[in-house]
Amino acid sequence: MKKLLLICLFVLAVLPVLTQSAFAAGAGPSKDMLKGIVTQVNGAERTVVFVKDGTKEVRTLVLGEKMKIEDMKMNTKVLINLDKHAGENVMKDFSVMFMDMTVSKLLALLAIGAIGGLLSGFIGSGGAFVMTPAMMSLGVPGAVAVASNMCHKFPKAMVGAYKRWKYGQADIKLGLVMSTTAIIGVQIGIEIQKYILHKFGGAGSNLYISAVFMVVLVFVGGYVFYDAWKMIKGGGEETVSKLAIAMQKINIPPMIHFKTANVTISAWITIPVGVLTGMLAATIAVGGFVGVPGMIYVVGVSAVVASATELIIAFVMGAWGSVQWGLSGLIDIRLSLLLLATSLIGVQLGALGTTYVKDYIIKVVMATTMLIVAVSRGVMVPGYLADVGFTAPLDAGTITLLERVSYWSLLLALCSAGLIIIVAMVKGMSADRRSRKALAGVQHG
Amino acid sequence: MEATQFDKNMMAVAFAEAGEHDTVRDTLKGGKKGLATAPAPVRSKPYLKTLFFGCISISAYILLFKNEQLVTDTFTMGDWRWVFPVGAAFFFSFIHGAFASNLLTTLGLEAKK
Repeated sequence: MKKLLLICLFVLAVLPVLTQSAFAAGAGPSKDMLKGIVTQVNGAERTVVFVKDGTKEVRTLVLGEKMKIEDMKMNTKVLINLDKHAGENVMKDFSVMFMDMTVSKLLALLAIGAIGGLLSGFIGSGGAFVMTPAMMSLGVPGAVAVASNMCHKFPKAMVGAYKRWKYGQADIKLGLVMSTTAIIGVQIGIEIQKYILHKFGGAGSNLYISAVFMVVLVFVGGYVFYDAWKMIKGGGEETVSKLAIAMQKINIPPMIHFKTANVTISAWITIPVGVLTGMLAATIAVGGFVGVPGMIYVVGVSAVVASATELIIAFVMGAWGSVQWGLSGLIDIRLSLLLLATSLIGVQLGALGTTYVKDYIIKVVMATTMLIVAVSRGVMVPGYLADVGFTAPLDAGTITLLERVSYWSLLLALCSAGLIIIVAMVKGMSADRRSRKALAGVQHG
Repeated sequence: MEATQFDKNMMAVAFAEAGEHDTVRDTLKGGKKGLATAPAPVRSKPYLKTLFFGCISISAYILLFKNEQLVTDTFTMGDWRWVFPVGAAFFFSFIHGAFASNLLTTLGLEAKK
């Protein structure tokens, strides 16, 4: 088994180098994106002089049809997307890379970080699905929001994984095996995304992402909820699923024993779970939504160990992704560190919270989050269907309404999960305190 | 005073009625791991550590935001400069993570033993 671990570590070290170009093309910034400074604006000709970051290459760019010359900002770092269909030097959009940090934006980032961290520490994943859109709504360009979120995710996952490993919940070996196969899954996911983008365009890609979101979250979230309901009815005792028992009986070498998880299973069973986790991470950015249920129902790991082990996977994948985004220079470290300021407290609180609650609470939180997030993506599907041309176009008012419902349901998912965790923790802690007091009374009486 | 078997049984009944099955098992097991042993010694709270890591952490944040223009420009130059944002994230996770851990302990929020 040491050999297998060494192979995993080797793959983790070498794969990023081998696949750097593939990853940068898919998950990194587009090749049509330029980063640099505008030094001159010519209103009459609708052109700007642009100095590219790093190479200092000077280019004259033409404004796209819908762009306004007064929106151009000089001598500050900007991101420019080119419209290659209109011409080699025609701009599609323009955004200032670093937003001005006001007190309200700072407080918003701290609040999102705290709840995201709490959720992450408790169920192993979460937060990413709301942090990126939230940052974008504060005025951060999409690529910078994704990169900054990634750079905040891996230290948070590292601290959470360490805490839960100390509580004897995280299985490092399972985490490494899953991470290795998840990275392969990311590559496959990126290739599928690129194919869909090439074949059906941006609208097709949006529709695909939302459809995957819906199917996975409704199906897996619904099953997790059903399972949690059965556990509540059955007195809160967690049982290994029939599927996992059948999988553990398959004896195809190499067989791996995971000590903390207390499971011996063929590597050929963990591989598809890891690959699917990576594929989902590359598609909807929340691999944990399939990784944790996969470890519980296919591998046969308890919910508490699965959610803890997911943090190891999030750390490995987050660190790898951050290096890729760092190479492109798109991480706004202010955003990452503001999110970290409260999420590092939240993640540790969530981690210690798992020691006070029954296993089914973890499942209830996970299922609730998944089902509300499914609603948030579901309401966007009619718009995407119209964009692709499958249905009649929607009017602007309906589109705005659907977007608002989508955004607020994401926040609702985050807040309701946070609330369930806090209530369950407070209950668990006061029950623990009561039993200690009762014990002290018996001993001193 | 050591609890008698009768006391243990009565405790077990009380905990079973409260739905605390794990506590019931521990109580009936007795011995070193059981609840009917001496309570764990009370540890002093890490006030100094919390203060120490809190000061370093807040100083680092102030330093960052006082020089945000320089930091954001340098950290987004790309290529080998990826070490700056990733290194900073690691640094803050250790310092601020240690602060957060000690803060929770100081507030009495610790994992169930």
